[in-house]
Amino acid sequence: MLIKNWGLILAAKPKYAPPVSYLPRQNPTVWIGRAKAEMENATVDLKPHGEDLSGCVHQLPCCVKHDGPASVSHYFKPKYNGVSDEGLPLQEAHFRGRLLQGTTLQLPHGYSGFVLAKKTSPPSSKQYSNSWVTKATFQDITYWNHDYVPSHNDEMLRAFHWLTVAKALHDPVTPEELASSSFAL
Amino acid sequence: MGSKILPQWASKPCAMGIDEAGRGPVLGPMVYGCLYCAQSYLKTLATLSFADSKTLKEEKREELFETLKTNDSIGWAVDVIDARELSAKMLKKNKINLNEISHDSAMGLIDRVLKMGVLLTEVYIDTVGDAGKYEMKLSRNFPSIKFVVAKKADSLYPVVSGASIVAKVTRDRALREWVLDETAENMQRDFGSGYPGDPQTKAWLEDHKHRIFGFPTLVRFSWGTCNSYFKDVAQVLWDSDNLDEDGGGGKNSNGKRQLKLSNVGFTSSKRGSEEIESSGKGRCRFFQARKLEHLTNF
Repeated sequence: MLIKNWGLILAAKPKYAPPVSYLPRQNPTVWIGRAKAEMENATVDLKPHGEDLSGCVHQLPCCVKHDGPASVSHYFKPKYNGVSDEGLPLQEAHFRGRLLQGTTLQLPHGYSGFVLAKKTSPPSSKQYSNSWVTKATFQDITYWNHDYVPSHNDEMLRAFHWLTVAKALHDPVTPEELASSSFAL
Repeated sequence: MGSKILPQWASKPCAMGIDEAGRGPVLGPMVYGCLYCAQSYLKTLATLSFADSKTLKEEKREELFETLKTNDSIGWAVDVIDARELSAKMLKKNKINLNEISHDSAMGLIDRVLKMGVLLTEVYIDTVGDAGKYEMKLSRNFPSIKFVVAKKADSLYPVVSGASIVAKVTRDRALREWVLDETAENMQRDFGSGYPGDPQTKAWLEDHKHRIFGFPTLVRFSWGTCNSYFKDVAQVLWDSDNLDEDGGGGKNSNGKRQLKLSNVGFTSSKRGSEEIESSGKGRCRFFQARKLEHLTNF
């Protein structure tokens, strides 16, 4: 399955999630956002709904100017290729003659990936609609580098740090924690 | 692939010929082959009716290859560089050109034969690029060997003619027995010789181009020939390509490209050259380092 013009959302399953969304590099667009986001007239409806695309979501280091399905599994043949010095399991694939090196990231516990499509508004309604519905979900994403081995320095991998930071920022603070931190100050 | 057990004559001064097959074709592997024997055997070798493989019929080449394989006075080895590897190297960020790949392959063969314990004193090789420079490069890497780098070495020296048979037969067999990576239906194997001018190759390329994937990986994407088939194939923009450089040179090329990107819905705002990726520009370092951008709209 090749996805474009559909967004991919990484969102927290539980109620708690960062209140803002972030757009990491490249396509397909990956958002990290809250489960029911309302942003400037946009609504996003996230439900565990549709096909499970785990193992099928690839982020390529390029932009393919095509919108529609493609026979990915017949042409794109990742092969496992050992483990990196940092212990990341590596894969190798070729796309348009270029060697891609990739690794599969499991989404952090409590998070899920969503493939969204824009809801088509009935022609009768004159109002501009920007609402999105879930078409599929996934629990991992394989990202690919052109010409270099995946490492913990890759932006894709590091983008996930935000989830930890956001959780810390938004976790409720207990009176005990407050007391101990004022004491530390 | 090649002969394995080290014969007695290998500890006497030996000569080796190196030749290539499949450098020009737009598909399939490029093969480097070598053939070596004791200096004292060269005279006999000259009587074995090896000629430049290109002047021989395929059956004759096959026959000669089988004969030389059973000849105890001759050793041989091949290096098969498949189309995937050729394309990948030639399309790296720091591109490796075909001459360099060829040089590396030839030197790899010499290295391999030396490591087997063969006392190579002379190597005859068809030139790739400038003969003088190539000879210097080879001599620098293997100071103990005398190199003869010449144009048409395959028709001048029987030991190179032998190597050309090894290479050509290996390339033909590899292509004949090639298992395509792709599992799509309607994949045919009638690719012809692989030379860009071969009508059968042309027809195969036309029939096997793919809107998204371009071609099966048997094809050398780095060959200019491919571009003529890519007119109605989806454009792919790579992060690693400098957007300013490959847009066609015109002053509008960058603007055009951005426009195209906007058209297909990847971006809606007018930004700089970071169109493909988010930048985290103007944000705190944590976000910049992760290219995380604040998104208020989608």
